[in-house]
Amino acid sequence: MAELQLLSACGISRRFGGRTALEPCDLDLRAGETVALVGPNGAGKTTLLSILAGALDPSTGSVERPVAIGWAPQRPALYGKLTPRENLELFAALAAAPAAASDLPDRPAAELSVGQRQRLNLALALLGSPPVLLLDEPTASLDAERREELWNLLAGVVVGGGAVCFVTQNLEEVDRADRVGLVEDGWLSFE
Amino acid sequence: MLWRSPLALVVLLAYPLVVAALVGLVASYANAKPRVALVDEDRLPVSIEIGDRTFHVGRTIDRVANEVTLVRLDRDEAERQLASGRIVALLVVPRGFVADLRGMARSPQLELETTRGGLSIRISQQVQALVYQLNRELSDAYVEANLRYIELLLEGGEGEFLGQRLDVLGLAGARNLLDELPPGPRLDRIREFVRTAELALGETDDALRATASPIELVESRDAGRTWALSAQVQSYALALTISFLALLLAAAALAGERDEGVLGRLRRGLVGPGELVAAKVALAAVAAVAVGVAIAIAFGAIIELGDVEGGQPWSRLPLLAVGLALAGAALGALGSLLGALAREGRTASLVAVLAVLPIVFLGLVPREVAPAAAAISTAFPFAHGLRFFTAALFELDPWTALLREAAWLVGLTLAYGALARLAVVKLPA
Repeated sequence: MAELQLLSACGISRRFGGRTALEPCDLDLRAGETVALVGPNGAGKTTLLSILAGALDPSTGSVERPVAIGWAPQRPALYGKLTPRENLELFAALAAAPAAASDLPDRPAAELSVGQRQRLNLALALLGSPPVLLLDEPTASLDAERREELWNLLAGVVVGGGAVCFVTQNLEEVDRADRVGLVEDGWLSFE
Repeated sequence: MLWRSPLALVVLLAYPLVVAALVGLVASYANAKPRVALVDEDRLPVSIEIGDRTFHVGRTIDRVANEVTLVRLDRDEAERQLASGRIVALLVVPRGFVADLRGMARSPQLELETTRGGLSIRISQQVQALVYQLNRELSDAYVEANLRYIELLLEGGEGEFLGQRLDVLGLAGARNLLDELPPGPRLDRIREFVRTAELALGETDDALRATASPIELVESRDAGRTWALSAQVQSYALALTISFLALLLAAAALAGERDEGVLGRLRRGLVGPGELVAAKVALAAVAAVAVGVAIAIAFGAIIELGDVEGGQPWSRLPLLAVGLALAGAALGALGSLLGALAREGRTASLVAVLAVLPIVFLGLVPREVAPAAAAISTAFPFAHGLRFFTAALFELDPWTALLREAAWLVGLTLAYGALARLAVVKLPA
């Protein structure tokens, strides 16, 4: 089961004008594995994850991915004028997935705390139970209890045959991963 | 979502109205009487005797100059003010004008000097109208004088011609004298001539008046719409309001989605770039129909309450709604393009405002004043929307204009929509 490739990136790179954000690299995500991406600020981790998620087109290379991918960008991507429930209903309708319940306050998302917005961001990534989760610093702004809840949830995804790739600046979280990719000056390398 | 930002909503609705008021001020300034200098180099006398009629040239010029404000200046001051733009033209009464007028040997001349630019055509037309009116007044005076001479010839009596007092027998007197003479073939021929001359000159009155004015325009004023309720103003109000609304809404909506980061989430297979643009186009079209129909109903209510002649063409409201949807869609596509190019919500709103003003003003410039501006305006939805609304609401047979403008609006929607889609594809999440 661990050999089943859920996502495969081949020769992907990205340039922004004259600046290279990501040098050509390959990355596979196999069923039942967790991959952590670490590296200093501005190294290219977010660019790599955005390309894997399909939110950013690569300058070179290609990505083969399943139809459904859960993506939680570093900055919560949600409609600030809509409540958490409305955000979940809207994106569930667009993804033809069942809407998830939310225990977040019923007020516009822009008025929520940073941690609450991050929880909503993660809830949107989990809509429809996608087999692949791409999470950019998912535990940022979460309290200890919520962080543990998240790791338990991600472990369930992996056990269920899914794959998780997350970016982190917290080296303690690296232990949660099966593989660790180091991104430095746009170059990706695995230990 | 918009109603949750009441300030933005108020600004969105109030801003077009403020701008519309400003445009109204500009339009009223454009309709104000331009200042024209009257340079009297011939020192016009208070009055001139033409025939037995006293003709006040200066007063007549003042009276018939309805469309301009005449200010009496000397030549140097007038030239100086023309150069500085304080007046838009000089109307010069050259030396010898009164002598030519009295002599009737050649046409007296008035000289017109205008600035170069859009107003010169209008001033030229207005001065032509002024000269026409003067000619009418003079013509009437000449006709009246000539008719007095003819009456003198017919009836006889005392009169004056070129300053000489005359005692005229007249045809009637001649006939009476001839009747007292015995009949004879030679006298009969003279009697016949006198009778024929009396008949012919008796018909001179109408003939002379008809020659002076081959076509006479009889003007009458009815209780039609006031300027503020005119078809043109209603169409302008609609086109102006939805231009602001649809362009800003679409631009801000697309750029706002990028600001909130949802563009990246949507583009990951949930919504294609074409669908993203189409959604903004549809939003702009729906908003344009809602606001446009509300404005038309408000105009109609005022017209009905005021019992204005002609009334509001309520049966044309569905046609208007179609035009609003088409114009709103085209403006929405253009707004989406601006939103995608500007990339950030506030910048997109600013760019949309900056873009919409010249688009609107280009559409307002009359073709005869600036053909190039009119040609450029065809590339934008405002001018086509304006023409569609005017045709839909007030033309008796609007179909040709409606189909032409609808085709333009659909074409512009597709063109701007395609460009906006391309810009969205290239837009970083």
